Amino acid sequence: MKKSDLKSAIKKERFFFAMVPAVVWQGLFLFLPLLFLVVISFIKGWSYTGVHGGFTLENYTSLLDFSHLRVLFRSFFLALINTTVCLLVAFPVSYFISVKSRRWKNCLLFFLVVPFFTNFLVLVYSWFFILERNGVINKFLSLFGLGVSGPLLYNMPAVLLVMVYCYLPFMAMPIYSSLEKIDKSLLEASSDLGANFRQTFFKVVLPMAFSGIRTGVFLVFVPSFGEFVIPTLIGKGEPFLVGSLVSYYFTQSLSPSFGAAFTSISCVFLVIVAFLWFVLLKLIFTKNLRGSDNGKN
Amino acid sequence: MRSIELKNITKSFGGELILHNFSVTIPSGIFFALLGPSGCGKTTILRIIAGLEKQDSGSIFLGKKNITQVPSNERTVNTVFQNYALFPHMNVFDNIAYPLRVKKVDTNTIEQKVLDTLKMVHLEQHIYKPIQFLSGGQQQRVALARAIISEPDVLLLDEPLAALDLGLREKMLIELKELQCKLGTTFVYVTHDQSEALTVAHQMAIMNNNGQIEQIGEPKEIYEFPRSRFVAKFVGTTNILSGKKIGSTIEIEKEGAFSLSISEERKEDGKELSISLRPEKIYITKDKLEGFSNVFVGTVISVVYQGRSTQYVVKLGKSGITVNVFEQNEEHFPKEVIEVGNLVNLYWQKENVVILKNEKI
Repeated sequence: MKKSDLKSAIKKERFFFAMVPAVVWQGLFLFLPLLFLVVISFIKGWSYTGVHGGFTLENYTSLLDFSHLRVLFRSFFLALINTTVCLLVAFPVSYFISVKSRRWKNCLLFFLVVPFFTNFLVLVYSWFFILERNGVINKFLSLFGLGVSGPLLYNMPAVLLVMVYCYLPFMAMPIYSSLEKIDKSLLEASSDLGANFRQTFFKVVLPMAFSGIRTGVFLVFVPSFGEFVIPTLIGKGEPFLVGSLVSYYFTQSLSPSFGAAFTSISCVFLVIVAFLWFVLLKLIFTKNLRGSDNGKN
Repeated sequence: MRSIELKNITKSFGGELILHNFSVTIPSGIFFALLGPSGCGKTTILRIIAGLEKQDSGSIFLGKKNITQVPSNERTVNTVFQNYALFPHMNVFDNIAYPLRVKKVDTNTIEQKVLDTLKMVHLEQHIYKPIQFLSGGQQQRVALARAIISEPDVLLLDEPLAALDLGLREKMLIELKELQCKLGTTFVYVTHDQSEALTVAHQMAIMNNNGQIEQIGEPKEIYEFPRSRFVAKFVGTTNILSGKKIGSTIEIEKEGAFSLSISEERKEDGKELSISLRPEKIYITKDKLEGFSNVFVGTVISVVYQGRSTQYVVKLGKSGITVNVFEQNEEHFPKEVIEVGNLVNLYWQKENVVILKNEKI
């Protein structure tokens, strides 16, 4: 016992030193500015030129109205829909690539990650050619007399479409890598022991892809909650989302204290959502899918 | 407990023919070993019986029922996989309960059956342990328990002991044999290890590199009376000598030819024949002995001490023919010490010489 304690202590020590650069970096460039942001969110009428007024809760209380909450919830639902669609599209694709495809595996994988190699702005702008008035889709639709007189841009569905497109790899990659790790003989064993495809999927594949799904959902949900570029370009600011509002407060209305307060609120909101998601997953995966209703750990 | 019959199974992978018109009947309720070298297609046969691999042509019968088109999850056949294939996200209980859960058996019955099965494989104290915390031998037992809990007609075992150390392997072999006796299930055991097959099987089939069965029979029959050169060499160690049959002797066609007495009388004089002679059936000594039908003089060219026996390689006369001889190490201090270079007499009875099927070398 003592020996192993000592070993783990040494291991922890080394681990600690390895963490120093990351901690310093994160501390200086993330946590310190965040702390600064929180501080100015409590200052009355802070501006870039200097401090005005004293400490106050006013920034927060004035933000807790219907219009601000609406922006918060709109962002939440857009992120939720985006994450759900990404999950529903990415899972079957990843499953197919990792389990079924043999010869085409690398090729398909390459197509999946191509968006990673492309500049994000180029990715977004490329959709203009598809969705504009003389774009591919509208031309195709007009063949059947269904064409629209204006562009298909500047609305919620267009924003969602481009967001799904851009975030898909972030969902697909972690799910693919977790599915890839599943030993294929486990699927054979499941079938051999009498399980049909559906049972094998829910009792073996899904629980084992759990970590990939969890990572993918976080990777997609968190950034798409604060997404700024796509709604600004594709939606021309419509729908009005958290990112646009934060940008408005900091750059246009020149009232950073409000912006800081609003950012803090959305951060807390996101943390709560993430926590609830975590609890939900725990409930679903440990009880229902494992089916260990009579196993006592 | 049912018999398994494969009829004219053909299977190829990527243009390479693995099995060609393979047929075998495995009687119900016996421990059947399928023995063959690596890559001979024996695992493929197992996978075809389990339904995990689809044969190109041919049919499979379980008892009298044709199960050729039945998918693997509906076959009453279970497999113990070589790598165990235990579900890593489940504990011992959940793994073993899996086949019953997918059949929607009620919770109380599941609990009772899992406990009973765990007792059968001596794992009852590890019931709620995660799989990762078990040793290789324990994982093996979980895989076994999971495969027998739903009482299949046939249990397929794909080199199940390959990953275990020698001592544990011998122990597990005995347990497997006892389990088979207790359950009465037909066991089909695939291995490339002839000693495993000899230990457990009621009946064994020897497959050659072309995916064909060379010989099928009881272990003793296979070992003592191998029909072909391949079987003689694959099961145990042997000496193979070839020559021309003249009367009841075989003249070995090499410089300094020898004649061997053989018990079988056949009218195939002048024909090329091969014989097999097991090394332990030869008696080696420097003394002169009476009562043996074959006596040869040779020079010892190597002595290897192997614990319970010593292996001698003896060159017969002036010919290039060498013979392996095993001698049991019966005493701490043997009266007669045989060393390299010694002139020795080799004795054997003609009844212990087996004539092999004629084949091109």
